[in-house]
This record gives sequence, structure tokens and C-alpha cells, in this order.
Amino acid sequence: MNVGLNDQQLSELLATWPVDHAALSVDVDHVNHHYGTGEMRKQVLFDNVLKILPGEIVIMTGPSGSGKTTLLTLIGTLRSVQEGSLKVLGQELLGITPTSTTELRKRIGFIFQAHNLFESLTAFQNIRMATELLGIPDDQANARIEATLRRLGLGARIHYRPKALSGGQKQRVAVARGLIHEPGLILADEPTAALDAESGREVVTIFQELAREKQCTIVIVTHDNRILDVADRIVSMVDGRIVTNVLVRRNALLSQFLTQIELFKVLSTTVLSKIADRFDLRKFAVGSEIIQQGGVGREFFVIGAGSVAIEIDGRQVNTLEQGSFFGEMALIRDQPRNATVRALTPVSCFVLEKDDFQTVVQSSSSFEEELRKAIFNRQ
Amino acid sequence: MSETVTSTSEWAIPVQPGLLLRLNLATTTLTSYRTFSEIGPKFPMTQIPLAWKNLTYDPRRLVVAVSGIAFAVVLMFQQRGFQHALFDSTVEIVRELECDLVLLRPTRFALSVETRFDRSLLDVAASHRGVVSAVPLYVENLGARLRRENQKARPIRVLAFDLDRPMLRDRTREFASQRNLLDGPSTALMDRLSRSDYGFEFGSQALFPQTGELNGRELHVVGTFTSGRDFAHTGNLIMSQENFATYFTHRGLAPLQQVDLGLVKVDPQEDISQVQQRLSETMGNEVSVLTKQALIEREIALWDRSTPIGVIFTVGTLMGFVVGVIICYQVLATAIADHLGEFATLKAMGYSNGYFVRLTIQQSVYLAALGFLPGAVLSWVLFQFNASFTALPMSMTLERVLVILLATLVMCIISGMLALRKLFAADPASLF
Repeated sequence: MNVGLNDQQLSELLATWPVDHAALSVDVDHVNHHYGTGEMRKQVLFDNVLKILPGEIVIMTGPSGSGKTTLLTLIGTLRSVQEGSLKVLGQELLGITPTSTTELRKRIGFIFQAHNLFESLTAFQNIRMATELLGIPDDQANARIEATLRRLGLGARIHYRPKALSGGQKQRVAVARGLIHEPGLILADEPTAALDAESGREVVTIFQELAREKQCTIVIVTHDNRILDVADRIVSMVDGRIVTNVLVRRNALLSQFLTQIELFKVLSTTVLSKIADRFDLRKFAVGSEIIQQGGVGREFFVIGAGSVAIEIDGRQVNTLEQGSFFGEMALIRDQPRNATVRALTPVSCFVLEKDDFQTVVQSSSSFEEELRKAIFNRQ
Repeated sequence: MSETVTSTSEWAIPVQPGLLLRLNLATTTLTSYRTFSEIGPKFPMTQIPLAWKNLTYDPRRLVVAVSGIAFAVVLMFQQRGFQHALFDSTVEIVRELECDLVLLRPTRFALSVETRFDRSLLDVAASHRGVVSAVPLYVENLGARLRRENQKARPIRVLAFDLDRPMLRDRTREFASQRNLLDGPSTALMDRLSRSDYGFEFGSQALFPQTGELNGRELHVVGTFTSGRDFAHTGNLIMSQENFATYFTHRGLAPLQQVDLGLVKVDPQEDISQVQQRLSETMGNEVSVLTKQALIEREIALWDRSTPIGVIFTVGTLMGFVVGVIICYQVLATAIADHLGEFATLKAMGYSNGYFVRLTIQQSVYLAALGFLPGAVLSWVLFQFNASFTALPMSMTLERVLVILLATLVMCIISGMLALRKLFAADPASLF
């Protein structure tokens, strides 16, 4: 069955679950932050929780003063954590020593809104300031700097001083400086604001490559709509609180996956993307029971990968493949499970909780109709 | 072998960023980077000489900075120069003497104090083991007044000795060539560095003899010698001891019996300090025996401590130092303030405070070196000018140059450390 995703996309989708907390690139855990002291003390971050996996591209949005910059400086070790726990690349930042801070900063790439290039140094030398700090061998560094500048369309201006470069060119040099050492985490503040569409696209393409190939985590604060499509996760903040934290890439892939299934075709994109957010992923070993006949029905399943057998009273009546769904009957009719479902291969299922499932059913009469049709056909 | 070739070719690259820039544009090859990073002074810390680049990026600012420091260097050189000149000038007369030991009355705590000892004591000294000769030097400070026609009588210092045993270094050979002229009565040589107020002219030998009056008696100045002036003395005469006796009758019936200084030559085989010690014991309380160098040091120390000269010039030098600190601080602080964002970025990248300390010290040292060179050259020129104008011995010895160089370095490093506080305050959190 064609489910609308190629193998690579499907494995990418499946890889977004589950969240392994030990491997998190950035783990913001109940972080509060205040500015000022005494009477002037003002809270700017309220109980922020944000977990980012290696290789994730996160776009942070929010009005100015929403605290996104504060959160970014906290993650970047440029400000001291006051309350809560914040781990970056495995290092706890609460109470970190200055030496560890310096060491950690070398593993982070910064791209600031202002290019901050030394006027006295050429583009090449400015970037060398980053590679030399990390002790990258000369030959390797030189080749990498040259290749990166070429990619960013600056091949002919490698040895120009900033004075001889345009604003966009300077920004591209600053971008190259921020990512030349292939850091584990890149923090970028409006990296594409000063760039035309083409070079802005080139910058985010490099970001994507680093994320995919080097598992580099990238956090971008931006208002540039042109680059929203690269985000794996969009976090938006208002008044010091994280108001939405959406895995857009996962949702997009999942929606794409679901729309190829007859049942979900009737749903509007809005509803689809809303429920996509509610899905969880569960994996089952060969031979394990996914649901048990007579058990209480709590979830609805869509097979993401693998195949399962349907057994009634110990007898196999059917097999289901990728893109099929099961578990709906017990939820609609509020009955015990009428069959056992067993994994024939290693199986990955997208799982929707009963409440979420019923919300979907109620929201769309055509969905309910389609569902009944499917159930009828199965009998 | 290959290494040698590489380094030679690197050095062969002209140290001109502009030129190399064009080279690199023409051939953007990997190998060209190697030479590129070789430009400018090298450091163990980083190959990009940021300190040097930042300092030299804006030539106008660099010129202003270097001029400011050079100015401070000149100030310090001048103050120290005058101080040394004044001290040097007071002992110039001792330096000119060709002797190893000097005998003088213990109460003569300064050369200008006119206490004398009996000539017979010199005979005792002369017969001492290890002593080659002991001859008298007569000095008249207060009792000598020289006057030329239509001029006021002015005090002058008169030195006299046995013309056959002159005991002078006589570097200019003026004494040797004119010694015979001094045999005649009422003759003297005049210091060509004496003040022009006396009314004598020293332009050429053809101008002599010129006649004036010394203590009311006729004196023929038959030629010149070269010594120098100091605070107390605006001019010098030298003459034979016989003539001296005729001019200074206030010294008593036998004017030559009372000696100002005794000049002792020690056998070159003997150790001077041992002879000095033995001679000291022999002479007892009547006469002090000092080595020439000890006398010079004693005299300088006296002027330094018992007059405000030392303090005045030390304060002057310090002011030059402080001016230098302020100028250098301004330069470095502005350089930092203008690049605060860049430095904050370096901090965010993981550069430690230690790096910024090294960077600032490097810049301080460059500024010190760049400012010192023109400052020292200009000072040397001014020294020549001062020397010819004041007739003070303005000398720039290696030791004195090194002292000012050290002061310049310290001056710039202090400024650097002050400016560093601004750098530490660069907050990378402000960049987002």
C-alpha cells in the first residue's frame, strides 16, 4: 500500500519518537528568570520547559519582550541560570564554573543579528578566529573556510575586509564563522534578516545539512516566514511563557502519511494537523500482543510500519499492513476488545488516545460515516 | 631541506597586506593561505595577529597613538636628561682629571666648599708605596672675578696646577697644543663653554689673545679648552700655579702651600682600592682619600639629596609617565570600545579572559615599541640642541635609554591593564 511517504521520510518520522531524555541537546526544565533586584525585580521567564533533540531545527517566535532572547542567552551560557535546571549538550548550566562555561561555549555556534566582524581582519581571518580557538589543523580549517564561503557565494571575496563587503555578505561571513567548527548547537538570531531570498535559502540549507549529517541542533529566533519550512519544531513565546511548542516537521510527515489513508482523507487539513499533534508512537516486538481480546479499549492504532495478525478466540482471521488501522470499534461502542492483535514483524504504531479519537469523530460527520463504512466492510 | 625552502619563501613574501590580497585574489589556492597567515608578527597563542591588526588597521589613529606615546617618551627623556646633565655637569671637572685617587680635606663635603690641606701632606702621599705621583690642584671658586672692558666683573672658577704634570685628560688636545702659551705671566686658557656674558669670543684661535682683568689685574686669555658649566660655575680658567699664586694673594704669604685637591696616580701594578686603604690609614684625619669614581658618586648624591633638583626632575619624569599612561589608556580604551561587539562575540565563541589579557599586553608592548623609537630619536635631536644651547652635558647612555624604554613599557602595560576592565565588561548577552 502506498502511504505517501518514502522510506527515508518514514524513518525520519518514526525517529522523532520516543524522547530519550539522556540524549537531549537542550533540556530546559522549569526555568524561571528575573531581571533586576529588590523592588525592581521583574520576572521575565515563567516555568519554561523545552526539550530539544540532537539534529532538531527549532524556530522560536514571539513578540519582542516575550523572553525568547532571554531564553536563548540562557541556553547559550551568556547569562547565568537562576532557577530550574538547564542542560546544554549534557552540561548542567545551573551553577556552572567559568572554566566549564568557556569550554562549553566552544561547542556552541553563535550567529548574532549584528555581524560583529573585526574590520581589521579579512573574511577569512575572521573565521580563522573560530577555528584556531578550537585547534582545528590549518589545512583542514582553510579548506573548510574556503568551501563554506564559496557555498555562501563569497568565493571571490574570501580575502576581503568587511569594509569591502555588503551588509548581506558580512552577515554570511558571520554565519560561516558561527558554523565553521560544526558545533553541537547553533544559536542564531535572525540569521536571514539581512539576506536576499537566495542566500537566505542557502544558509538554511546549510543548517539542514548540519542538522541531518552532524546531528547539530539549531535554534533560530526569527520572524522570517520564508524559512519556517525548515523547522522541526516551532516554539512561540508570549510574556515569558512558552505558549506553543509544536513539532511541525513530525506533524507534517504524519499528516502526509494519514491523508493517504482512506479514512483520514475526509478530514480537513486543519483537523488533520491538529490530531497529528496528538499521536504517540509505540513500538512492538515480533509476537507481542498489541491489544487483547476482551480487554478495555483505550486507544486507536494506525500501523506505521510492519504487519499484524487479527485473532478472534485464538484463530487468525486477518492480517493488516502499514497504513491500516484498528482498535476503533471498542472506542465507538464502548465495548471490550473483540479481537487480539499480534505483531507479525517488528511493528511501529501511531496511537491516539480514546478522548482525542472521539473528538475527531465528533468534529466530522463524514469521518464518522467513513469509519462506519470501514467497519462494515471489515465485517 | 624542504622546511628551509618553505620558510625562505614565506619570508620572501613582501609584508604588504594589500599586495598579498591581490595575489590571493588572482590565485585562490590552498597553499596561498599558508603564506597569508604568516603576515605580521607571530604569536604562540593564535596565528591571526589580532593585536597587531587592530592596532595598525587605521593608520591615522595609529599615528595619533604613536605620537602621543612618543611625546611622553620625549618628556621623560628631557626630564631625566636635564637631571643627569645637571649632575654630570657638577662632576665634569672631576671626570676631566687624569688620576686614580683624590686627596681632600675631610670637611670638604662638596667640591665647592673651600677648605684646604697643607701641601706637605702630598709629599707624604707621594712617597707612599704604590703611589706613582701626588700633585696639587688649586681651585678658586669664590675669590676669582673676571672682567672684560665695558663688562661687569663676574665670578669664574680658576684651576691651576704644575704645567709639567697637568693630570688632565685633555681629550680635545687643546691643552697640549697651547701648553707653552701658559708659561708667560698673566696668561690663562678659558673654557670655550663659558657663558658669553664674560665678553670673550671663542670663535677661532685667531681671536686670541684677548685681554681682561682677573681680580683687578691684567689677564691675557691666550686660548681655549673645553670643559663645561654647571649650576654654580658659569665659566672656567686654567693657568699655571705660578700665575695662580700672583692672582690670589688672599690665600696667604705662600698661596701654593694650601692645596685644594691632591691628585694621586697609582702604580698600574697595584690594586687601587688597596692603595687607597693604606694611604687612608697613613693620612689619618688630616686628609680623606677617595677614588675618582667614589668622589663623583659622592658629589652627585650630595646634589641629589641635599637640593630639590632630584625631586623636581623626578616629579617631571613622573608627569611624563602619567601623561603617557593617560594617552596610552585613551588609545587602548577607544580601540576596545569601538570593537566591544566583536570582543563580546569572541567571548561567546569561548575565548577566555586570559586571551584578552595577552591581547592587551601585546598591544601595549607594540604601542610602547612604536612610540619609543620616534620618541628616542626626537629626544636625541633635542639633546644635541639642548647641549649646544645650555652647554650642559646632555648625554644619552645605553643605560639611560634602557631605563626610559622600561618606563615606556611599564607605562603602556599599566594603561593596558586599566583598559582591560572595559574589555572584561563586554557582555556577550547583550549581543542577542
